[in-house]
Amino acid sequence: MSTTAIPENVKRPMPPSVVHLGWFLLAGGLIVFLGAYVTDARRAAFDNVILLLFLASLAAGSLFLVALEHLAGAVWSTPMRRLIEFLAGLTPLLPLVGLPLLFHLHDLFHWTHAEVVAGDQILQGKTAYLNVPFFVLRFFAVCLTWLLFFWLFTRNSLKQDRTGDQKLTTRNARLAAAFLPVFAITLTVTAVDWGMSLEPHWFSTIFGVYYFAGTALAAVALATLVVVYLLDAGYLPPLRGDNLYSLGALMFAFVNFWAYIAFSQFLLLWYANLPEETFWFMHRWEHGWQVVSISLIVVHFAVPYFALLPQEAKMDRKRLKIMAIWILAARLVDLYWLIMPSFGDSVTLGWQELGIPLVATGLVIVVLAWKMQRHNLVPVGDPKLSRGLDFRL
Amino acid sequence: MTKGPLYAITALFDTPDAVMHAAGETAKVFTHYDVNTPYPLHGMDHAMRLRPSRMGFFALAFGLLGTVSAVGLMTWVTLVEYPMVIGGKPFWSWPAFVPIAFELTVLLASVLSVVAMIVIYFKFPNNRHPLHDTMYMRRVSSDMFGVYVKAEDPAFDEQKVRGHFARLGATQIDAVYFIVPEETERPKIFEPKFLGVLAVTAIVAMGATYVTYNKLLYMVPFNWMSDQAKLKAQKPSDLFGNGIGMRPPVEGTVARGFLPYPFKGKPDDAGKYLLNPLLPTAAVLERGKSKFLTYCSPCHGNFGSGDSRLAGQFPSPPTLHSDKVRNWPDGNLYHVITEGQNVMPSYATQISREDRWAIVHYVRVLERAHNAKESDLR
Amino acid sequence: MNTTTADYTREVPVVVGRPNASEIEAVIAAPLDQFPPRGWWIAFSVTLSMLTLGACCIGVSVYKGLGVWGVNQPVGWGFDIVNFVFWIGIGHAGTLISAILFLMRQRWRTGIARFAEAMTIFAVICAGIFPLLHTGRPWLPLYLTPYPNQHGLWINFTSPLVWDVFAVSTYFTVSLVFWYLGLIPDLATLRDRTTSKVKKTLYAAFSLGWRHSHRHWHHYERAYLILAGFATPLVLSVHTIVSFDFAVSVIPGWHTTIFPPYFVAGAVFSGFAMVQNVLVVVRRIFNLTHIITLDHLEKMNKVMILTGSMVGYAYGMEFFMAWYSGNQFEQFVFLNRALGPYAWAYWTMVSCNVIFPQLFWIKKVRRSIPMMFAIGILVNVGMWFERFVIVVTSLHRDFLPSSWGMYVPTFYDVGILVGSFGLFFTLILIFIRTLPVVSISEVKAVVEGAQPHHD
Repeated sequence: MSTTAIPENVKRPMPPSVVHLGWFLLAGGLIVFLGAYVTDARRAAFDNVILLLFLASLAAGSLFLVALEHLAGAVWSTPMRRLIEFLAGLTPLLPLVGLPLLFHLHDLFHWTHAEVVAGDQILQGKTAYLNVPFFVLRFFAVCLTWLLFFWLFTRNSLKQDRTGDQKLTTRNARLAAAFLPVFAITLTVTAVDWGMSLEPHWFSTIFGVYYFAGTALAAVALATLVVVYLLDAGYLPPLRGDNLYSLGALMFAFVNFWAYIAFSQFLLLWYANLPEETFWFMHRWEHGWQVVSISLIVVHFAVPYFALLPQEAKMDRKRLKIMAIWILAARLVDLYWLIMPSFGDSVTLGWQELGIPLVATGLVIVVLAWKMQRHNLVPVGDPKLSRGLDFRL
Repeated sequence: MTKGPLYAITALFDTPDAVMHAAGETAKVFTHYDVNTPYPLHGMDHAMRLRPSRMGFFALAFGLLGTVSAVGLMTWVTLVEYPMVIGGKPFWSWPAFVPIAFELTVLLASVLSVVAMIVIYFKFPNNRHPLHDTMYMRRVSSDMFGVYVKAEDPAFDEQKVRGHFARLGATQIDAVYFIVPEETERPKIFEPKFLGVLAVTAIVAMGATYVTYNKLLYMVPFNWMSDQAKLKAQKPSDLFGNGIGMRPPVEGTVARGFLPYPFKGKPDDAGKYLLNPLLPTAAVLERGKSKFLTYCSPCHGNFGSGDSRLAGQFPSPPTLHSDKVRNWPDGNLYHVITEGQNVMPSYATQISREDRWAIVHYVRVLERAHNAKESDLR
Repeated sequence: MNTTTADYTREVPVVVGRPNASEIEAVIAAPLDQFPPRGWWIAFSVTLSMLTLGACCIGVSVYKGLGVWGVNQPVGWGFDIVNFVFWIGIGHAGTLISAILFLMRQRWRTGIARFAEAMTIFAVICAGIFPLLHTGRPWLPLYLTPYPNQHGLWINFTSPLVWDVFAVSTYFTVSLVFWYLGLIPDLATLRDRTTSKVKKTLYAAFSLGWRHSHRHWHHYERAYLILAGFATPLVLSVHTIVSFDFAVSVIPGWHTTIFPPYFVAGAVFSGFAMVQNVLVVVRRIFNLTHIITLDHLEKMNKVMILTGSMVGYAYGMEFFMAWYSGNQFEQFVFLNRALGPYAWAYWTMVSCNVIFPQLFWIKKVRRSIPMMFAIGILVNVGMWFERFVIVVTSLHRDFLPSSWGMYVPTFYDVGILVGSFGLFFTLILIFIRTLPVVSISEVKAVVEGAQPHHD
């Protein structure tokens, strides 16, 4: 028995001012990147890797959230699920973001230099995995896999708007079950390839999980930001604090999870003190990197933890919006801390790095605007929708 | 059993909706009332206009207490009380403190919050409340929902309250009285029976602890590690004739880094081959003086003239200023201190080799002072 | 029940059949009023004999010393630590069901939470025996705690073994408090319905005088939420700290960063298998099949696929990184596990943990009682062997071939393991006849029609 009316199946495009802002930011970011590539291609390539990993987080993470709803049969997220599917629309653009990198692999990775590998027995042992053809193949295979699942999930969801067929939900649930193991493997490959192999002598079995923690957190934060923003602007049917609570709780939970994984990785390598492993952390403690490391703890853990701890905070729209933006910024700090020390010993921060948040923000707005123009904001055909709109804790 | 004064008027309701409505209506009129349900109803907080629970602050406070105590204890132990280099890490290794700090935070926050809630908010344990053992309590414990208004409410009037509940559709309205004696709403922590049980428990626990740690741990098999068959210092032993576990070293044993005295019984060789390794510096002479006064002066006198208290007893300790002694090479003097001579015992165990040489220097100083020449003054 | 097309517009009722509050209460409280039937006594005598065997073996181990066990150089940790990790892992399912599912507002946990929490407490009791015994002088447990003493000695706060002391004690205490908090309203209900004077006194004492007052429920619910909120990271931290026992070392096969989440996932995996196994039996003998429904069991099996897959992912990552690292010692450990003298243990582990649980992808298997019971048992066996493989294979052949050796457990090792199972099931048997195995008040609260309608 629903008290909230199911919205009609109409499209509500984004206001033109916001769309223009999106294009402006995107263009600005691209110009920054162009300038960066022209002046210092190696540095631009590293920035590009950060951008790729950030956008991959948002795209694959959004797919993960969609799959999670289908798998768990959750109803609180059903009114928002179409929005998250829109955000997953970043997936087809990932190959484009990675394309410039494929021409700069030599600048990024030591193992692409034949003479370096020839003189290094350890690197020689890894050539079966770390070689350019296989690397490129993996990248495209991952992108294609994500694209396939993106297409399947959204096709079922959009079809359901027209037909209202409950079997499509069952189909999506089965698809989600198949997606999760695939997601685990593809995300790990992405992290290992673009993140870990920057330092080919180093290895950590938890690295994939670390990137996953950041991915899930980023996706939830972006979803929260977009949902609250559109809710305030009246684009979504009225949702109570009860629906938003779960978003706040998920953000809080993944902040904790990220800190747990990050600390585990650190503690184990610190404790055993093996030079072949600790040098990775030593890089991030010298030549100014200590400041970034400490600020990472504060920015990525301490502040969001205490800000989202009270139960009321998890339902408060203003708090959620601010913390979502904060967490997305913290994600960039984490990726920067992860990637940039392989570029150079000292902390490199300049106008070139500005390209990353500009392109990312611009791209998200542009993709969202494009989707909102073509599809309905709410999955009106979803059988769980009325329960979702009436959801109470 | 005589009934005490009226405690409250209770009312039972059949459905959750009915009791919610009743609670809301009662809250408008009365302040000293309560609702009883077999499980918590959603929205009742709002109907009763209850302020949000402060449990969260308790948890935060106790949690922080846990964190601070844990980090404090570990810091004090590793920096002040028992600093040890472990794994080459610095004394204060904060990453290693995180697990224990986290556990203690959770422990104190959880346990103390619940205890605080039970004791402070609920004022439990309390099994003498007037509502216990009433039909009302039996029903709300099982499948009905209830509201009651206490007699102490300023707006209380028995007929008015009964009418209020009847209008709200209550299925059963009853009066509940205080059990005599009164004071049934205060906690029973200070009741003699409870204190008695507490005292007995304390005595039993103390007794058991005492017996365990002072008696039991010295019994077989718990004492096997402390009572070992190996010989330790001061322990007796049946293995040896004199029953003593500690054995002196075998005759002729030489300690490491120590050469035995090569001139045993040969004073002239000692005089011929031994040279004073020390220089007669002020420090050496001071040492020699101090040792001379301690060991030599009781017999030979403060200035080596043989004028000590023992002079006059046979045999008198000789003066050190005789020609014989003055003409002795240093090695002879050293030999006499080492081996003794006639009645004089060996001072080898009391005076270290270096000190003996210092004494020799000092004796030479005394001899020179005793036979001073004009030239010495210049 | 026709399940060809699920209907997502309607919420699946947590309790089947719309029983009212007093019916729920009657069916759950029924075993507490009856004298245990013959089946219970037979089961009790079996578990008690197992427990006695274990107690005797422990007695011999204490009297003669740990030389009667199979541990020696190079395998200094054997059955003792394997059993410790195994039992702690079993306990985690209880906290997950109770605390984490509560935070996720999954109301289907109400039928199984009480039992799962009790199992946690019993499992932690069984687990705690092992670190205590393996010290060699279990009568001096005080030495593990930081108390001021005449020796001037303090414990090494930076050692994971000391972290274990704090973690396991905290876990036990908090689980006990959480379980007890949930019991208070039920004990009050039992106090008000029992006719036996002795039972009434006991229930009254332990329910502390609970009156079902909403002013108390108000704080109680907040406290429950806070405890659930603390218990969740606690359960993650406990098995993480247990994994640190191994991961902070430099031993190949042990020193790997994925151990913390891998151990936690494995713990939940084995714990759910044990809970599912026991619940399958309990729901039948106590006529609780409408409260602990097939849907609930199916959800538990789904959690098992999820956590089993995480364990499989960890196996894969370890294997890949062993190759990728180029570290010959690490590479050897994995080859030795699969092909060396303990290969039989390794392949038992892989088939029981990775292969057989894949059957749960099939809906029919998920909803079949005999099949899920069998897979649950296999998972428990597999997870025990996983701890065995981790502990023993990494120790028996590490860096220097001259230090290699074999580990052979003795009769006393096995006897104590059997005894721990005896203790666990004895405690469960006592529990099911003295306390309500399902939370009466929580189930009453989630039946259809239990909550007021919103205006």
